[in-house]
Amino acid sequence: MFPLGVTLVALLVAAILAGVAGSYLGIGGGILLIPFMTLALSVDIRVAIATSIVGVIATSTGAASVYVRDRLSHLRLGMFLEVATTLGAIAGAFVAILVPDRNVLFILFGIVMIYATGYMVRPGVATTASDAKVTSRLAARLKLADEYVDQADGTTRAYDVARPGVGFGFGAIAGAVSGLLGVGGGFIQVPLMTVVMKIPTKPAVATSNFMIGVTAAASAFIYYSGGFLDPTLAGVIVVGVFAGTRVGTRLMVRARPGMIRLAFAVLLAAIGVLMILKAFIPGLIV
Amino acid sequence: MLIYRVLWGGILLSVVLIFIGLLLGSLSPGQLPQTPLKPAELATALVSLSPAGFLALGVIAMILTPVARVFLSILVYLEERDRVYVLITVIVLANLLFGIVLGFA
Repeated sequence: MFPLGVTLVALLVAAILAGVAGSYLGIGGGILLIPFMTLALSVDIRVAIATSIVGVIATSTGAASVYVRDRLSHLRLGMFLEVATTLGAIAGAFVAILVPDRNVLFILFGIVMIYATGYMVRPGVATTASDAKVTSRLAARLKLADEYVDQADGTTRAYDVARPGVGFGFGAIAGAVSGLLGVGGGFIQVPLMTVVMKIPTKPAVATSNFMIGVTAAASAFIYYSGGFLDPTLAGVIVVGVFAGTRVGTRLMVRARPGMIRLAFAVLLAAIGVLMILKAFIPGLIV
Repeated sequence: MLIYRVLWGGILLSVVLIFIGLLLGSLSPGQLPQTPLKPAELATALVSLSPAGFLALGVIAMILTPVARVFLSILVYLEERDRVYVLITVIVLANLLFGIVLGFA
């Protein structure tokens, strides 16, 4: 272990960078910060997960507030799916706390990380409207037809929501991954909404962000009362991510990342492999 | 707009509390907490101006911000007389409270 001061300064720098990278590349901070805490700072993986969850709430809430103001989030759909994601998150957090072998968490985290890399490299074709005229009875009952203002050209675009029931089921899985591994899970929710539920990309991203905070809050309580949440580490992460996200959002408006995205994806996948190896070689790196 | 203000207010409150906690902690070394405070310990920690109290309160404020948003949404749907969404939102809030109760049980 390092002296506490060194650990905290290193974590603050990492959190700022994770905030910048996360908002720039469209992935959350947790997927970067948990490997950093466990591999480089030798923090217990459950403490790292619990602590990361608070950072996830900070990131999501900051982004969500802007999306809500800009009327991009589908508030009703978000609330409907949150019924499933919160229950999934509670179950996931319980499994993380009760699982007897910590190495299981390292292996699962590595696998999810490699999957998230794939999402980052191929985010899918951005869509602006749902071409499918979908009217399921459940979608009508839940009044899921909505519209958003596309800020690229200022037009209002109406869209329908397909297969809300299927989305609900996958929502529970997304929530469980979030609660189990301390990540936001946007890399599951966004494809779920765009591919399965046929929602245009911009409102899908906004709605996902909007849901992540509530989902993470559900598991945060369990980690808090379980004694896994380190308030000092969490505090440093909140401050760092808060600062980093504000920088990253400005960068995103200016540039389109191409090579950076690819290089970053390779790095992420490599770290994912390291996380899996860590389960078999306890002394790896630190 | 109300939801926007609640979300931003929650983050700012949390960041300020955490910042005070970390500042106090760096002034008096050895007092930074590594485990979360129990709710019963919170009041004494705050009165004695310990870093642990501010950090715990900041972290709790952050976690409760989305919960407050859900609670407010219930009021909004009640005002709109949207019974289906009042019900859905109440279930989400119940899940969150279920998490709190389950955690401390």
